[in-house]
Amino acid sequence: MTHNDYQELLAAYALDALDPVESRALGEHLSSCVQCRQELVTLRDTSALLAHAATTQAPGDHVRAQILASVRAEAAHTRPAQVVQMPARAQTSWPNLLRLAAAIAFVALLAGVIVLWQRDTRLQGEVARLSRQVEAQQSDLERDRDLMTHQKEALALLTSTNTKKIELNGTQVAQNARATVMFDEKTGRAMLFTQGLPALAADKAYEVWFIPKGHAPMPGKVFTVDPSGHAMITDQMPPEAMNNAVIAITIEPKSGSAAPTGAIYLASPAS
Amino acid sequence: MQAETSQISDNDLLKAIARGDEAALTDCYDRYRLILFSLILRILHDRHEAEDVLQEVFLQVWRRAKDFDESRGRAFTWLVTIARSRALDRVRASGSRARLATEAEANPPDRVGDAAEDAVRSEEAAVVRQALAELPEEQRRTLLMAYFEGLTQSEIAARLGDPLGTVKTRMRSGLMKLRELLREQTRDRKH
Repeated sequence: MTHNDYQELLAAYALDALDPVESRALGEHLSSCVQCRQELVTLRDTSALLAHAATTQAPGDHVRAQILASVRAEAAHTRPAQVVQMPARAQTSWPNLLRLAAAIAFVALLAGVIVLWQRDTRLQGEVARLSRQVEAQQSDLERDRDLMTHQKEALALLTSTNTKKIELNGTQVAQNARATVMFDEKTGRAMLFTQGLPALAADKAYEVWFIPKGHAPMPGKVFTVDPSGHAMITDQMPPEAMNNAVIAITIEPKSGSAAPTGAIYLASPAS
Repeated sequence: MQAETSQISDNDLLKAIARGDEAALTDCYDRYRLILFSLILRILHDRHEAEDVLQEVFLQVWRRAKDFDESRGRAFTWLVTIARSRALDRVRASGSRARLATEAEANPPDRVGDAAEDAVRSEEAAVVRQALAELPEEQRRTLLMAYFEGLTQSEIAARLGDPLGTVKTRMRSGLMKLRELLREQTRDRKH
């Protein structure tokens, strides 16, 4: 269509009487044609005057008051002014959104707390299990450390030129038992390795005795053996026992005794 | 007060309403209630509904006054356009246009209204009615059907049994002629 074709449609457009297709086409033309837009303004002003063709009638007096009331009610909701309007403003959509957001946040928090509580219960179990494991590992470590200490001491004793070695033999009650004592003649550090000693009742233990010539038995360490009858203990040999003492192992109460009370299980040959 | 406010131009009145001036809104109501109510009633044929729509129109004026752009037409045109659209929307939403159209034909608009309260408005009304009276009957009829019944050119052609091209020509010629007549009248009054 040409500009003149569009111009011919303007009157009907001003009256909103164009069919939809023409109306859309003219709308596009108007967006780029200043002349048609200006023409349209005057045609719209003219068609608006057609309202005067209606018979003059007056609305009821109540309409004015109703309009004013509506406008004031609306103003109370939209104007940010007076203090008395605060409750009304609190009901506008924005605070409602905030309330909704708060409610959602609360539910989420509650769900989170429940999840955390459940997880906490699980975690507590886990922590208890882990601490038991750690304790076990710690005692393992201590045992390992003891073992290493013993092994170092054993190595030191084995390689020292001052080390003496004494073999202990099983007595009548423990014929398969054997033990070896190594000690440093200068320092008195001693180690005892046993094998084949019978396992003991829970209230019993083995006790080491150093019996120098002409002396009463001197108590050494109290120990137990593992299920295979092995034990490895370190001890400090009394100075009196350093030279030609008999070393014996008896069965004693768990807490040990000051003097031998039970049967002798191992003993070194008297020299 | 009344004399003072009536000196304010329609454009200034709308600007004041846009600023939230309640007094400006009531001034605007007092100035336009007759023409707008008459227009709405002419479209709806029901006083109660027409008063309801009039109320809607002024609420819309209150809310949208800031959208009024004087470079795109008169304030009068802006107000009348809102009222006509609202009333036609109400007709389309509630019931048969055909029934209302029948009623409209049974009650053709009076050429001369009763004495209006607003002298300026009344004078303008008289001018428009005079100009309309000078249009050929077919042209005037086509314009009024489009304006008060919200009919398109095709719908008018179907209603009258006239060719679409004829309706298009009548509508265009009628509005151009009316514009010319009104310009002449305005010039005459100024002289």
